[in-house]
Amino acid sequence: MSQKNASPLMSRLQAAPAWIRSRLGAYIWLRHCDQIGANTRTFWRPNVENHGRIMIGARVRLNSHWAPIELASGPHGVIDIADGVYINYGSIISAHERVRIGANVMIGNYCIVADTEVPAIVDRPDGPSISARPIEIGDGAWLATRVTVLPGSKIGAGAVIAAGSVVSGDIPPGMVAGGIPARVLRAV
Amino acid sequence: MKTLSWWDAFRARRWLQDCTSVGTDPYLIGKPTINVDGEMHIGKCFSLASRPVASHLTAGQGAILRIGDHVSIGSGAGIAAFQHVSIGNDTQIGAFVVIMDTNFHGAPGDQSVQHDCQPVQIGNGCRIGSRVTITRGAVIGDGAEILAGSVVSSVIPPGACAAGAKARIIGRAGDLASRWDSAAASLPELLMNSLNLSSPPDLDASRIPIDRWTDASVRDLLDALSARFGVALDRISIDQSRTFAEIAAAVEQALPERSPRP
Repeated sequence: MSQKNASPLMSRLQAAPAWIRSRLGAYIWLRHCDQIGANTRTFWRPNVENHGRIMIGARVRLNSHWAPIELASGPHGVIDIADGVYINYGSIISAHERVRIGANVMIGNYCIVADTEVPAIVDRPDGPSISARPIEIGDGAWLATRVTVLPGSKIGAGAVIAAGSVVSGDIPPGMVAGGIPARVLRAV
Repeated sequence: MKTLSWWDAFRARRWLQDCTSVGTDPYLIGKPTINVDGEMHIGKCFSLASRPVASHLTAGQGAILRIGDHVSIGSGAGIAAFQHVSIGNDTQIGAFVVIMDTNFHGAPGDQSVQHDCQPVQIGNGCRIGSRVTITRGAVIGDGAEILAGSVVSSVIPPGACAAGAKARIIGRAGDLASRWDSAAASLPELLMNSLNLSSPPDLDASRIPIDRWTDASVRDLLDALSARFGVALDRISIDQSRTFAEIAAAVEQALPERSPRP
């Protein structure tokens, strides 16, 4: 029977192995995180480098299908991902201080959300001094593909960031912003 | 701070074994691609991320790639030397950065490609953001800062902060507060509108076209400046400017000291 003509029950049964795999994957591949909410799922394997604290809420989906997602926290870094977040493949989330991602945020592929200039290098003994400034992404925001969020940025709730933008500074809630650097284009 | 485990140290040594010289304590996250046909010198305490996307370092035939001490490079970086690329000490380089001293390079081992190279030089203590492209002939001075997404193909003086494609100097390195919003970044647009120019002027080079400098347009400009930056310039100080750079300097001077972002 083809997928197209399948009954809802049949299609749910067909989707079951993938669902189970993604649920189990969350337990296996996110085991280094400090906290994982209910029903969090991972598709393929994300990389987790946890030297600080990584908290992941409920119903979070992490897609690492074509390029893995990198979650990296430094010795004093906190990554706080709220409920219902979707992060697409190849994104880097890196915290030396604090990165907070609000509920139901969608992050596109190959985004960089890092509170330092160099993302993902988290523990360098006697390395150069690192200046981190925390990042906050409000509830329901949407980052399109290849968005770079610079240290110290704050994105308001429900804001939409256009593809390829570089966000520096504050984006007010409920606005569409884009460009390098991202400027407000219009209301959502 | 975590010290490197013997396994990390061993793997880093093995992955960097083709390099001509490697300093103490290299730290690699994931496996990079290293092609050495010429010389590759890496200083001590080198950090390189290759996850989620692998980074690659290439030194072509007879080329020298020299990386200083305490350099850290993010993931997905591509650094190719076909003549000479040097990166100074304590430089931090973001993710998905491309640094090449040629316009083009073929697959590893492909000898048919004719390279047209100009050496690239990056100074000590530079900070280079994510997704920056540094093309041939670029010289970045000590302590300069390149913001994310820029394309650099020229000379950036020491201690400057540059951004954009192609990168322009927008301020001093280390001024954290609203650098993108410094006067130089939005002045071109403002000048274009108030002086009725056909395109945004190049602040560094161009002189003010004298026929556009009328009473009405200067009044427009002063109004726009006060609306945009909250600075009240007087007519006399701005009337003496002959170039756009002088206007930018006057505006920068009149700006109140910015407080750092909380």
